[in-house]
Amino acid sequence: MEILTKKYWWLGLVFIGALALPLVVGEFWVHVAIEILILGLFAVSFNMIFGNMGQLSFGHAAYYGVGAYATGLLLVRASVPLPICLAASMVAAGICALILGYFCVRLTGIYFAILTLAFGQLLYYIIFQWYSFTGGDDGLQGIIPPGALFSATYYYYFALFVVTGALIAMWYVNESPFGYTMRAIRENADRTRFIGINVRRYMLINFVVAGMFAGLAGGLWGPFNRSIAPDLCNWHQSGIPVFMTVIGGPLGFFGPMIGSIIYTFLMAFVTGFTEYWPLTIGLVIMFVVLFMPGGVLGLVEQKMKVFRSRDLEARGDRSAETERS
Amino acid sequence: MSGEVILNVENLNKAFGGLQATDNVSYEMMTGELSAIIGPNGAGKSTFFNLITGYHAVDSGKVFFKDRDITNWPPYKITRLGIARAFQVSNIYPRLTTYENVRQATLAQQRRTLNFFTPANRLAKKETMELLEITGLSQQANMISGNLSQGDKKRLELAIALGSKPELVFLDEPTAGMSGEETQETMELVKRLNREIGLTILFTEHDMSVVFGYARRLTVLHQGAIIAEGTPEEVRDNEEAQRVYLGEEA
Repeated sequence: MEILTKKYWWLGLVFIGALALPLVVGEFWVHVAIEILILGLFAVSFNMIFGNMGQLSFGHAAYYGVGAYATGLLLVRASVPLPICLAASMVAAGICALILGYFCVRLTGIYFAILTLAFGQLLYYIIFQWYSFTGGDDGLQGIIPPGALFSATYYYYFALFVVTGALIAMWYVNESPFGYTMRAIRENADRTRFIGINVRRYMLINFVVAGMFAGLAGGLWGPFNRSIAPDLCNWHQSGIPVFMTVIGGPLGFFGPMIGSIIYTFLMAFVTGFTEYWPLTIGLVIMFVVLFMPGGVLGLVEQKMKVFRSRDLEARGDRSAETERS
Repeated sequence: MSGEVILNVENLNKAFGGLQATDNVSYEMMTGELSAIIGPNGAGKSTFFNLITGYHAVDSGKVFFKDRDITNWPPYKITRLGIARAFQVSNIYPRLTTYENVRQATLAQQRRTLNFFTPANRLAKKETMELLEITGLSQQANMISGNLSQGDKKRLELAIALGSKPELVFLDEPTAGMSGEETQETMELVKRLNREIGLTILFTEHDMSVVFGYARRLTVLHQGAIIAEGTPEEVRDNEEAQRVYLGEEA
Protein backbone atom coordinates (compact mmCIF):
# COMPACT_ATOMS: atom_id res chain seq x y z
CA MET A 1 0.00 0.00 0.00
CA GLU A 2 2.91 2.29 0.78
CA ILE A 3 4.10 1.94 -2.78
CA LEU A 4 0.63 2.73 -4.03
CA THR A 5 0.39 5.96 -2.09
CA LYS A 6 3.90 7.14 -2.84
CA LYS A 7 4.38 6.32 -6.49
CA TYR A 8 0.89 6.09 -7.84
CA TRP A 9 -0.77 9.16 -6.32
CA TRP A 10 -1.69 10.23 -9.85
CA LEU A 11 -3.89 7.14 -10.16
CA GLY A 12 -6.05 8.54 -7.37
CA LEU A 13 -6.45 11.74 -9.38
CA VAL A 14 -7.39 9.75 -12.47
CA PHE A 15 -9.97 7.82 -10.47
CA ILE A 16 -11.50 10.99 -9.02
CA GLY A 17 -11.59 12.44 -12.55
CA ALA A 18 -13.32 9.29 -13.75
CA LEU A 19 -15.90 9.59 -10.96
CA ALA A 20 -16.63 13.19 -11.91
CA LEU A 21 -16.77 12.54 -15.65
CA PRO A 22 -20.56 12.01 -16.11
CA LEU A 23 -21.17 15.30 -14.29
CA VAL A 24 -19.09 17.17 -16.82
CA VAL A 25 -19.76 15.60 -20.23
CA GLY A 26 -22.86 14.65 -22.17
CA GLU A 27 -24.34 11.18 -22.64
CA PHE A 28 -22.50 10.48 -25.88
CA TRP A 29 -19.12 10.79 -24.15
CA VAL A 30 -20.32 8.72 -21.21
CA HIS A 31 -20.97 5.96 -23.73
CA VAL A 32 -17.49 6.45 -25.13
CA ALA A 33 -16.07 6.28 -21.60
CA ILE A 34 -17.85 2.97 -20.93
CA GLU A 35 -16.37 1.63 -24.15
CA ILE A 36 -12.91 2.83 -23.08
CA LEU A 37 -13.26 0.96 -19.78
CA ILE A 38 -14.50 -2.29 -21.27
CA LEU A 39 -12.06 -2.41 -24.17
CA GLY A 40 -9.27 -1.23 -21.85
CA LEU A 41 -9.91 -4.17 -19.55
CA PHE A 42 -9.90 -6.43 -22.61
CA ALA A 43 -6.57 -4.95 -23.74
CA VAL A 44 -4.91 -5.20 -20.29
CA SER A 45 -5.94 -8.86 -20.15
CA PHE A 46 -4.47 -9.36 -23.63
CA ASN A 47 -1.23 -7.81 -22.42
CA MET A 48 -0.89 -10.47 -19.71
CA ILE A 49 -0.09 -12.75 -22.63
CA PHE A 50 1.66 -10.28 -24.93
CA GLY A 51 3.64 -8.08 -22.55
CA ASN A 52 4.24 -10.46 -19.65
CA MET A 53 4.52 -13.82 -21.36
CA GLY A 54 5.98 -12.46 -24.59
CA GLN A 55 3.54 -14.29 -26.88
CA LEU A 56 1.16 -12.66 -29.35
CA SER A 57 -2.37 -14.00 -29.01
CA PHE A 58 -4.29 -13.24 -32.14
CA GLY A 59 -7.45 -14.90 -30.93
CA HIS A 60 -8.05 -13.15 -27.64
CA ALA A 61 -11.52 -12.08 -28.81
CA ALA A 62 -12.63 -15.70 -28.47
CA TYR A 63 -12.64 -15.34 -24.67
CA TYR A 64 -14.15 -11.87 -24.86
CA GLY A 65 -16.92 -13.24 -27.08
CA VAL A 66 -17.55 -16.27 -24.89
CA GLY A 67 -17.83 -13.93 -21.91
CA ALA A 68 -20.27 -11.72 -23.81
CA TYR A 69 -22.43 -14.69 -24.76
CA ALA A 70 -22.39 -16.17 -21.25
CA THR A 71 -23.73 -12.98 -19.71
CA GLY A 72 -26.05 -12.28 -22.68
CA LEU A 73 -27.66 -15.71 -22.64
CA LEU A 74 -28.03 -15.87 -18.86
CA LEU A 75 -29.55 -12.41 -18.76
CA VAL A 76 -31.95 -12.85 -21.69
CA ARG A 77 -32.95 -16.48 -21.24
CA ALA A 78 -32.83 -16.87 -17.47
CA SER A 79 -32.86 -13.34 -15.99
CA VAL A 80 -29.91 -14.16 -13.75
CA PRO A 81 -28.61 -11.22 -11.66
CA LEU A 82 -25.86 -9.33 -13.49
CA PRO A 83 -23.01 -9.91 -11.00
CA ILE A 84 -23.60 -13.66 -11.22
CA CYS A 85 -23.69 -13.39 -15.02
CA LEU A 86 -20.30 -11.68 -14.97
CA ALA A 87 -18.83 -14.34 -12.72
CA ALA A 88 -20.22 -16.96 -15.11
CA SER A 89 -18.59 -15.09 -18.00
CA MET A 90 -15.22 -15.38 -16.30
CA VAL A 91 -15.71 -19.07 -15.62
CA ALA A 92 -16.93 -19.84 -19.16
CA ALA A 93 -14.08 -17.90 -20.77
CA GLY A 94 -11.61 -19.52 -18.37
CA ILE A 95 -12.79 -23.01 -19.30
CA CYS A 96 -12.47 -22.20 -23.02
CA ALA A 97 -8.99 -20.77 -22.43
CA LEU A 98 -8.02 -23.88 -20.49
CA ILE A 99 -9.09 -26.23 -23.30
CA LEU A 100 -7.71 -24.19 -26.21
CA GLY A 101 -4.70 -22.90 -24.28
CA TYR A 102 -3.63 -26.47 -23.54
CA PHE A 103 -2.70 -26.73 -27.21
CA CYS A 104 -1.56 -23.14 -27.75
CA VAL A 105 1.12 -23.08 -25.02
CA ARG A 106 2.87 -25.99 -26.69
CA LEU A 107 4.01 -23.50 -29.30
CA THR A 108 5.68 -20.09 -29.22
CA GLY A 109 6.22 -17.16 -31.55
CA ILE A 110 4.44 -17.11 -34.89
CA TYR A 111 3.03 -20.63 -34.34
CA PHE A 112 1.41 -19.53 -31.10
CA ALA A 113 -0.10 -16.51 -32.86
CA ILE A 114 -1.48 -18.63 -35.72
CA LEU A 115 -2.92 -21.29 -33.44
CA THR A 116 -4.67 -18.74 -31.21
CA LEU A 117 -6.05 -17.15 -34.39
CA ALA A 118 -7.27 -20.51 -35.69
CA PHE A 119 -8.99 -21.39 -32.41
CA GLY A 120 -10.54 -17.92 -32.26
CA GLN A 121 -12.02 -18.38 -35.72
CA LEU A 122 -13.23 -21.85 -34.76
CA LEU A 123 -15.19 -20.41 -31.83
CA TYR A 124 -16.50 -17.66 -34.07
CA TYR A 125 -17.91 -20.18 -36.56
CA ILE A 126 -19.41 -22.31 -33.83
CA ILE A 127 -21.28 -19.30 -32.42
CA PHE A 128 -22.14 -18.17 -35.95
CA GLN A 129 -23.71 -21.51 -36.91
CA TRP A 130 -25.35 -22.60 -33.69
CA TYR A 131 -28.68 -20.84 -34.25
CA SER A 132 -30.69 -22.74 -31.65
CA PHE A 133 -28.38 -21.73 -28.81
CA THR A 134 -26.59 -18.52 -29.74
CA GLY A 135 -28.98 -17.05 -32.30
CA GLY A 136 -26.36 -17.51 -35.00
CA ASP A 137 -25.47 -14.53 -37.11
CA ASP A 138 -28.62 -12.72 -35.94
CA GLY A 139 -26.85 -12.34 -32.63
CA LEU A 140 -28.64 -11.87 -29.37
CA GLN A 141 -30.89 -8.84 -28.85
CA GLY A 142 -32.57 -7.25 -25.88
CA ILE A 143 -29.81 -7.65 -23.33
CA ILE A 144 -31.23 -5.12 -20.90
CA PRO A 145 -29.20 -4.30 -17.79
CA PRO A 146 -31.28 -4.63 -14.63
CA GLY A 147 -32.88 -1.73 -12.71
CA ALA A 148 -30.98 1.51 -12.34
CA LEU A 149 -28.13 0.32 -14.57
CA PHE A 150 -30.42 1.05 -17.53
CA SER A 151 -29.20 4.66 -17.46
CA ALA A 152 -25.84 5.28 -19.14
CA THR A 153 -24.48 7.15 -16.12
CA TYR A 154 -25.23 4.37 -13.65
CA TYR A 155 -23.94 1.71 -16.01
CA TYR A 156 -20.79 3.80 -16.33
CA TYR A 157 -20.31 3.77 -12.56
CA PHE A 158 -20.97 0.05 -12.45
CA ALA A 159 -18.42 -0.58 -15.21
CA LEU A 160 -15.95 1.77 -13.53
CA PHE A 161 -16.06 -0.20 -10.28
CA VAL A 162 -15.90 -3.60 -11.94
CA VAL A 163 -13.03 -2.58 -14.22
CA THR A 164 -11.13 -0.87 -11.38
CA GLY A 165 -11.51 -3.99 -9.25
CA ALA A 166 -10.30 -6.17 -12.10
CA LEU A 167 -7.33 -3.87 -12.76
CA ILE A 168 -6.31 -3.97 -9.09
CA ALA A 169 -6.49 -7.77 -9.18
CA MET A 170 -4.40 -7.90 -12.36
CA TRP A 171 -1.92 -5.42 -10.90
CA TYR A 172 -1.43 -7.72 -7.93
CA VAL A 173 -0.89 -10.69 -10.25
CA ASN A 174 1.56 -8.57 -12.23
CA GLU A 175 3.66 -7.78 -9.15
CA SER A 176 3.35 -11.23 -7.59
CA PRO A 177 5.91 -14.03 -7.85
CA PHE A 178 3.65 -15.48 -10.54
CA GLY A 179 3.84 -12.24 -12.55
CA TYR A 180 7.63 -12.20 -12.27
CA THR A 181 7.75 -15.84 -13.28
CA MET A 182 5.89 -14.90 -16.47
CA ARG A 183 8.47 -12.18 -17.15
CA ALA A 184 11.19 -14.74 -16.52
CA ILE A 185 9.59 -17.06 -19.07
CA ARG A 186 9.37 -14.16 -21.53
CA GLU A 187 13.02 -13.28 -21.00
CA ASN A 188 14.48 -16.76 -20.99
CA ALA A 189 12.21 -19.79 -20.96
CA ASP A 190 15.15 -22.19 -21.01
CA ARG A 191 16.74 -20.78 -17.89
CA THR A 192 13.37 -20.82 -16.18
CA ARG A 193 13.11 -24.58 -16.73
CA PHE A 194 16.49 -24.93 -15.06
CA ILE A 195 15.42 -23.16 -11.89
CA GLY A 196 12.69 -25.75 -11.49
CA ILE A 197 9.66 -24.26 -13.17
CA ASN A 198 7.28 -26.18 -15.40
CA VAL A 199 7.17 -23.49 -18.08
CA ARG A 200 4.29 -24.92 -20.07
CA ARG A 201 2.03 -25.25 -17.06
CA TYR A 202 2.72 -21.66 -15.99
CA MET A 203 2.00 -20.40 -19.50
CA LEU A 204 -1.30 -22.25 -19.47
CA ILE A 205 -2.29 -20.80 -16.09
CA ASN A 206 -1.46 -17.32 -17.35
CA PHE A 207 -3.44 -17.95 -20.52
CA VAL A 208 -6.47 -18.99 -18.46
CA VAL A 209 -6.24 -15.97 -16.11
CA ALA A 210 -5.97 -13.62 -19.12
CA GLY A 211 -8.93 -15.39 -20.74
CA MET A 212 -11.03 -14.97 -17.60
CA PHE A 213 -10.49 -11.21 -17.51
CA ALA A 214 -11.23 -10.98 -21.24
CA GLY A 215 -14.45 -12.86 -20.46
CA LEU A 216 -15.30 -10.33 -17.76
CA ALA A 217 -14.80 -7.50 -20.27
CA GLY A 218 -17.03 -9.32 -22.77
CA GLY A 219 -19.67 -9.81 -20.09
CA LEU A 220 -19.77 -6.06 -19.47
CA TRP A 221 -20.18 -5.38 -23.17
CA GLY A 222 -23.57 -7.03 -23.82
CA PRO A 223 -25.71 -5.11 -21.31
CA PHE A 224 -23.98 -1.89 -22.41
CA ASN A 225 -24.57 -2.46 -26.13
CA ARG A 226 -28.00 -4.11 -25.54
CA SER A 227 -27.09 -6.76 -28.13
CA ILE A 228 -24.21 -9.01 -29.10
CA ALA A 229 -23.20 -10.71 -32.36
CA PRO A 230 -20.71 -13.42 -33.35
CA ASP A 231 -18.43 -10.63 -34.64
CA LEU A 232 -17.29 -10.15 -31.03
CA CYS A 233 -15.29 -13.37 -31.48
CA ASN A 234 -13.93 -12.53 -34.89
CA TRP A 235 -10.31 -11.75 -35.67
CA HIS A 236 -11.14 -8.09 -36.23
CA GLN A 237 -12.06 -7.95 -32.57
CA SER A 238 -8.82 -9.74 -31.67
CA GLY A 239 -6.93 -6.99 -33.46
CA ILE A 240 -8.35 -4.25 -31.22
CA PRO A 241 -6.32 -5.09 -28.07
CA VAL A 242 -3.24 -5.55 -30.25
CA PHE A 243 -3.65 -2.01 -31.63
CA MET A 244 -4.39 -0.57 -28.20
CA THR A 245 -1.37 -2.23 -26.65
CA VAL A 246 0.95 -1.12 -29.42
CA ILE A 247 -0.33 2.45 -29.13
CA GLY A 248 -0.22 2.60 -25.33
CA GLY A 249 2.90 0.52 -24.82
CA PRO A 250 3.20 -3.15 -23.83
CA LEU A 251 5.86 -2.85 -21.13
CA GLY A 252 3.91 -0.84 -18.57
CA PHE A 253 0.85 -2.16 -16.80
CA PHE A 254 -1.30 0.82 -17.80
CA GLY A 255 -0.10 0.95 -21.41
CA PRO A 256 -3.07 -0.93 -22.92
CA MET A 257 -5.52 1.20 -20.90
CA ILE A 258 -3.91 4.37 -22.25
CA GLY A 259 -4.09 2.78 -25.71
CA SER A 260 -7.79 2.15 -25.17
CA ILE A 261 -8.38 5.79 -24.26
CA ILE A 262 -6.58 7.00 -27.39
CA TYR A 263 -8.07 4.39 -29.73
CA THR A 264 -11.67 4.63 -28.53
CA PHE A 265 -11.68 8.40 -28.19
CA LEU A 266 -10.14 8.78 -31.62
CA MET A 267 -12.67 6.39 -33.15
CA ALA A 268 -15.61 8.26 -31.60
CA PHE A 269 -14.18 11.55 -32.80
CA VAL A 270 -13.09 10.52 -36.31
CA THR A 271 -16.20 8.51 -37.22
CA GLY A 272 -18.19 11.67 -36.46
CA PHE A 273 -17.10 13.27 -39.70
CA THR A 274 -15.49 10.63 -41.93
CA GLU A 275 -15.96 6.99 -42.78
CA TYR A 276 -12.22 6.48 -43.23
CA TRP A 277 -11.63 5.25 -39.67
CA PRO A 278 -9.48 2.23 -40.69
CA LEU A 279 -7.25 4.55 -42.69
CA THR A 280 -6.86 6.89 -39.71
CA ILE A 281 -6.01 4.17 -37.21
CA GLY A 282 -3.63 2.64 -39.77
CA LEU A 283 -1.72 5.91 -39.98
CA VAL A 284 -1.67 6.24 -36.19
CA ILE A 285 -0.26 2.72 -35.80
CA MET A 286 2.39 3.43 -38.43
CA PHE A 287 3.38 6.62 -36.66
CA VAL A 288 3.63 4.88 -33.27
CA VAL A 289 5.60 1.92 -34.59
CA LEU A 290 8.06 4.12 -36.47
CA PHE A 291 8.55 7.00 -34.04
CA MET A 292 7.74 5.70 -30.55
CA PRO A 293 8.24 1.95 -30.43
CA GLY A 294 7.57 1.84 -26.67
CA GLY A 295 4.11 3.32 -27.23
CA VAL A 296 2.78 6.42 -25.50
CA LEU A 297 3.66 5.06 -22.06
CA GLY A 298 7.20 4.33 -23.18
CA LEU A 299 7.56 7.92 -24.32
CA VAL A 300 6.06 9.39 -21.14
CA GLU A 301 8.27 7.22 -18.94
CA GLN A 302 11.29 8.37 -20.84
CA LYS A 303 10.44 12.03 -20.38
CA MET A 304 8.96 12.16 -16.90
CA LYS A 305 10.48 10.43 -13.92
CA VAL A 306 7.29 10.40 -11.86
CA PHE A 307 5.63 7.91 -14.18
CA ARG A 308 8.60 5.62 -14.41
CA SER A 309 7.94 1.97 -13.67
CA ARG A 310 10.41 0.07 -11.54
CA ASP A 311 11.97 -1.81 -14.44
CA LEU A 312 12.78 1.38 -16.24
CA GLU A 313 13.89 3.17 -13.11
CA ALA A 314 16.55 0.59 -12.45
CA ARG A 315 17.79 1.18 -15.96
CA GLY A 316 17.76 4.92 -15.29
CA ASP A 317 19.77 4.49 -12.08
CA ARG A 318 22.25 2.46 -14.00
CA SER A 319 22.81 5.19 -16.57
CA ALA A 320 23.15 7.72 -13.72
CA GLU A 321 25.81 5.51 -12.17
CA THR A 322 27.82 5.29 -15.34
CA GLU A 323 27.64 9.03 -15.75
CA ARG A 324 29.02 9.54 -12.26
CA SER A 325 31.84 7.05 -12.58
CA MET B 1 27.14 -37.81 3.99
CA SER B 2 30.39 -38.17 2.16
CA GLY B 3 31.11 -41.47 0.52
CA GLU B 4 27.65 -42.14 -0.90
CA VAL B 5 27.16 -42.26 -4.63
CA ILE B 6 25.26 -39.12 -5.61
CA LEU B 7 25.47 -39.43 -9.39
CA ASN B 8 25.78 -42.54 -11.44
CA VAL B 9 25.85 -42.43 -15.23
CA GLU B 10 25.81 -45.70 -17.12
CA ASN B 11 26.79 -46.17 -20.78
CA LEU B 12 25.45 -42.84 -21.96
CA ASN B 13 25.19 -42.30 -25.72
CA LYS B 14 24.09 -39.34 -27.80
CA ALA B 15 24.54 -38.64 -31.49
CA PHE B 16 23.72 -35.49 -33.42
CA GLY B 17 23.28 -36.59 -37.01
CA GLY B 18 26.43 -38.55 -37.74
CA LEU B 19 28.41 -37.05 -34.87
CA GLN B 20 28.76 -39.19 -31.76
CA ALA B 21 28.77 -36.41 -29.16
CA THR B 22 28.69 -38.75 -26.19
CA ASP B 23 30.18 -42.18 -26.70
CA ASN B 24 29.34 -44.82 -24.10
CA VAL B 25 30.23 -42.65 -21.11
CA SER B 26 29.99 -44.09 -17.62
CA TYR B 27 30.69 -41.82 -14.68
CA GLU B 28 30.24 -41.87 -10.95
CA MET B 29 30.38 -39.14 -8.30
CA MET B 30 30.45 -39.35 -4.53
CA THR B 31 28.76 -36.86 -2.24
CA GLY B 32 31.10 -34.00 -1.38
CA GLU B 33 33.35 -34.35 -4.44
CA LEU B 34 34.84 -31.43 -6.32
CA SER B 35 35.77 -32.75 -9.74
CA ALA B 36 36.39 -31.54 -13.23
CA ILE B 37 35.88 -32.67 -16.78
CA ILE B 38 38.45 -31.46 -19.24
CA GLY B 39 38.86 -31.88 -22.94
CA PRO B 40 39.38 -29.84 -26.07
CA ASN B 41 36.57 -27.83 -27.62
CA GLY B 42 33.93 -30.13 -29.06
CA ALA B 43 34.97 -33.00 -26.81
CA GLY B 44 31.39 -33.32 -25.60
CA LYS B 45 31.64 -31.68 -22.16
CA SER B 46 28.56 -29.51 -22.49
CA THR B 47 26.60 -32.31 -24.14
CA PHE B 48 27.41 -34.51 -21.16
CA PHE B 49 25.90 -31.88 -18.82
CA ASN B 50 22.95 -31.41 -21.15
CA LEU B 51 22.15 -35.11 -21.10
CA ILE B 52 22.29 -35.41 -17.31
CA THR B 53 20.19 -32.29 -16.67
CA GLY B 54 17.48 -33.17 -19.18
CA TYR B 55 18.28 -30.54 -21.79
CA HIS B 56 18.80 -33.20 -24.44
CA ALA B 57 17.15 -36.60 -24.59
CA VAL B 58 19.64 -39.47 -24.34
CA ASP B 59 19.88 -42.07 -27.14
CA SER B 60 20.71 -44.84 -24.72
CA GLY B 61 22.10 -45.26 -21.24
CA LYS B 62 20.93 -44.37 -17.75
CA VAL B 63 21.36 -41.51 -15.30
CA PHE B 64 20.83 -42.08 -11.60
CA PHE B 65 20.73 -39.36 -8.95
CA LYS B 66 20.99 -40.87 -5.46
CA ASP B 67 19.80 -44.23 -6.82
CA ARG B 68 16.83 -42.65 -8.57
CA ASP B 69 16.54 -43.12 -12.32
CA ILE B 70 16.23 -39.60 -13.75
CA THR B 71 17.01 -40.46 -17.36
CA ASN B 72 15.15 -38.11 -19.72
CA TRP B 73 13.28 -36.34 -16.95
CA PRO B 74 12.27 -32.76 -17.83
CA PRO B 75 14.76 -30.14 -16.55
CA TYR B 76 12.35 -28.60 -14.03
CA LYS B 77 11.89 -31.91 -12.23
CA ILE B 78 15.60 -32.62 -12.17
CA THR B 79 16.24 -29.15 -10.73
CA ARG B 80 13.63 -29.67 -8.02
CA LEU B 81 15.28 -32.93 -7.09
CA GLY B 82 18.53 -31.10 -6.28
CA ILE B 83 20.66 -30.72 -9.40
CA ALA B 84 21.41 -27.19 -10.59
CA ARG B 85 23.63 -25.90 -13.35
CA ALA B 86 25.38 -22.77 -14.47
CA PHE B 87 25.74 -22.40 -18.20
CA GLN B 88 28.85 -21.79 -20.25
CA VAL B 89 27.39 -18.87 -22.17
CA SER B 90 25.70 -16.83 -19.46
CA ASN B 91 22.04 -17.68 -19.46
CA ILE B 92 20.34 -15.02 -17.36
CA TYR B 93 17.30 -12.71 -17.52
CA PRO B 94 18.96 -9.77 -19.26
CA ARG B 95 16.15 -7.23 -18.82
CA LEU B 96 15.61 -7.92 -15.12
CA THR B 97 17.90 -6.59 -12.38
CA THR B 98 20.61 -8.73 -10.83
CA TYR B 99 18.51 -8.93 -7.68
CA GLU B 100 15.40 -10.02 -9.59
CA ASN B 101 17.40 -12.70 -11.39
CA VAL B 102 18.50 -14.32 -8.15
CA ARG B 103 15.14 -13.77 -6.45
CA GLN B 104 13.43 -15.66 -9.27
CA ALA B 105 15.54 -18.73 -8.58
CA THR B 106 14.94 -18.39 -4.85
CA LEU B 107 11.17 -18.01 -5.26
CA ALA B 108 11.11 -21.09 -7.47
CA GLN B 109 13.11 -23.03 -4.89
CA GLN B 110 10.69 -21.96 -2.15
CA ARG B 111 7.76 -23.06 -4.34
CA ARG B 112 6.29 -19.57 -4.15
CA THR B 113 5.89 -18.93 -7.86
CA LEU B 114 2.18 -19.78 -7.81
CA ASN B 115 1.55 -16.98 -5.32
CA PHE B 116 -0.69 -14.45 -7.10
CA PHE B 117 -1.32 -11.95 -4.34
CA THR B 118 1.82 -11.02 -2.41
CA PRO B 119 4.05 -8.48 -4.14
CA ALA B 120 7.24 -10.30 -5.09
CA ASN B 121 9.40 -7.51 -3.68
CA ARG B 122 8.37 -8.50 -0.15
CA LEU B 123 9.45 -12.11 -0.52
CA ALA B 124 12.75 -13.96 -0.36
CA LYS B 125 14.70 -10.79 0.52
CA LYS B 126 17.08 -12.37 3.00
CA GLU B 127 17.93 -15.42 0.89
CA THR B 128 18.45 -13.32 -2.22
CA MET B 129 20.74 -10.82 -0.48
CA GLU B 130 22.75 -13.69 1.01
CA LEU B 131 23.34 -15.22 -2.41
CA LEU B 132 24.34 -11.84 -3.85
CA GLU B 133 26.67 -11.37 -0.89
CA ILE B 134 28.53 -14.67 -1.24
CA THR B 135 28.87 -14.32 -5.01
CA GLY B 136 30.11 -10.74 -4.59
CA LEU B 137 27.26 -9.09 -6.48
CA SER B 138 25.71 -6.95 -3.73
CA GLN B 139 26.95 -3.73 -5.31
CA GLN B 140 25.33 -4.64 -8.61
CA ALA B 141 22.00 -5.75 -7.11
CA ASN B 142 19.91 -3.07 -8.77
CA MET B 143 21.63 -3.06 -12.12
CA ILE B 144 19.88 -4.43 -15.19
CA SER B 145 21.71 -7.71 -15.51
CA GLY B 146 22.19 -7.39 -19.26
CA ASN B 147 24.56 -4.48 -18.50
CA LEU B 148 26.83 -6.47 -16.17
CA SER B 149 30.41 -7.22 -17.12
CA GLN B 150 31.14 -10.67 -18.54
CA GLY B 151 32.68 -11.83 -15.27
CA ASP B 152 29.73 -10.57 -13.23
CA LYS B 153 27.30 -12.33 -15.56
CA LYS B 154 29.11 -15.60 -14.90
CA ARG B 155 28.93 -14.94 -11.16
CA LEU B 156 25.22 -14.26 -11.54
CA GLU B 157 24.95 -17.61 -13.35
CA LEU B 158 26.45 -19.20 -10.28
CA ALA B 159 24.14 -17.27 -7.91
CA ILE B 160 21.07 -18.40 -9.88
CA ALA B 161 22.26 -22.00 -9.76
CA LEU B 162 22.80 -21.74 -5.99
CA GLY B 163 19.32 -20.21 -5.63
CA SER B 164 17.91 -23.65 -6.34
CA LYS B 165 19.61 -24.92 -3.14
CA PRO B 166 21.07 -27.89 -4.98
CA GLU B 167 23.00 -30.86 -3.63
CA LEU B 168 24.84 -31.30 -6.91
CA VAL B 169 25.95 -28.44 -9.16
CA PHE B 170 27.28 -28.51 -12.69
CA LEU B 171 29.38 -25.52 -13.63
CA ASP B 172 30.12 -25.26 -17.32
CA GLU B 173 33.37 -23.28 -17.61
CA PRO B 174 32.54 -21.12 -14.57
CA THR B 175 35.42 -18.71 -15.19
CA ALA B 176 35.09 -18.24 -18.95
CA GLY B 177 35.57 -14.58 -19.85
CA MET B 178 36.97 -13.64 -16.42
CA SER B 179 40.23 -11.85 -15.68
CA GLY B 180 42.96 -13.70 -13.82
CA GLU B 181 41.98 -12.15 -10.52
CA GLU B 182 38.27 -12.84 -11.04
CA THR B 183 39.06 -16.44 -11.95
CA GLN B 184 40.96 -16.89 -8.70
CA GLU B 185 38.11 -15.37 -6.67
CA THR B 186 35.49 -17.49 -8.35
CA MET B 187 37.42 -20.72 -7.92
CA GLU B 188 38.04 -19.90 -4.25
CA LEU B 189 34.29 -19.44 -3.91
CA VAL B 190 33.68 -22.80 -5.59
CA LYS B 191 36.15 -24.41 -3.21
CA ARG B 192 34.48 -22.79 -0.21
CA LEU B 193 31.03 -23.94 -1.32
CA ASN B 194 32.39 -27.44 -1.58
CA ARG B 195 34.24 -27.42 1.75
CA GLU B 196 31.87 -25.41 3.90
CA ILE B 197 28.41 -26.29 2.60
CA GLY B 198 29.42 -29.71 1.36
CA LEU B 199 28.10 -29.02 -2.10
CA THR B 200 29.02 -31.66 -4.65
CA ILE B 201 30.45 -29.86 -7.68
CA LEU B 202 31.39 -30.96 -11.16
CA PHE B 203 32.86 -28.35 -13.48
CA THR B 204 34.36 -28.18 -16.92
CA GLU B 205 37.31 -25.99 -17.67
CA HIS B 206 39.84 -25.39 -20.38
CA ASP B 207 42.24 -23.35 -18.26
CA MET B 208 44.73 -25.92 -16.98
CA SER B 209 45.91 -23.98 -13.94
CA VAL B 210 42.34 -23.74 -12.70
CA VAL B 211 41.73 -27.46 -13.05
CA PHE B 212 44.97 -28.53 -11.38
CA GLY B 213 44.59 -26.07 -8.56
CA TYR B 214 41.15 -27.10 -7.44
CA ALA B 215 39.69 -30.35 -8.77
CA ARG B 216 40.55 -33.46 -6.79
CA ARG B 217 39.60 -35.77 -9.62
CA LEU B 218 39.90 -35.19 -13.34
CA THR B 219 38.18 -36.87 -16.25
CA VAL B 220 39.44 -36.32 -19.77
CA LEU B 221 36.84 -36.38 -22.51
CA HIS B 222 37.85 -36.73 -26.15
CA GLN B 223 35.48 -37.12 -29.09
CA GLY B 224 32.66 -37.94 -26.70
CA ALA B 225 34.49 -40.72 -24.86
CA ILE B 226 36.39 -40.86 -21.55
CA ILE B 227 40.05 -41.53 -22.24
CA ALA B 228 41.62 -40.90 -18.85
CA GLU B 229 40.57 -40.44 -15.26
CA GLY B 230 42.33 -39.92 -11.95
CA THR B 231 43.99 -37.36 -9.71
CA PRO B 232 45.39 -34.31 -11.50
CA GLU B 233 48.89 -35.79 -11.21
CA GLU B 234 47.83 -39.14 -12.67
CA VAL B 235 46.12 -37.45 -15.58
CA ARG B 236 49.14 -35.26 -16.21
CA ASP B 237 51.28 -38.40 -16.51
CA ASN B 238 48.79 -40.26 -18.68
CA GLU B 239 50.17 -40.55 -22.20
CA GLU B 240 46.91 -40.54 -24.08
CA ALA B 241 45.66 -37.54 -22.16
CA GLN B 242 48.87 -35.71 -22.93
CA ARG B 243 48.56 -36.53 -26.59
CA VAL B 244 44.96 -35.35 -27.16
CA TYR B 245 44.76 -32.51 -24.75
CA LEU B 246 47.71 -31.45 -22.70
CA GLY B 247 50.01 -31.70 -25.69
CA GLU B 248 47.96 -29.12 -27.49
CA GLU B 249 48.39 -26.65 -24.70
CA ALA B 250 52.14 -27.12 -24.28
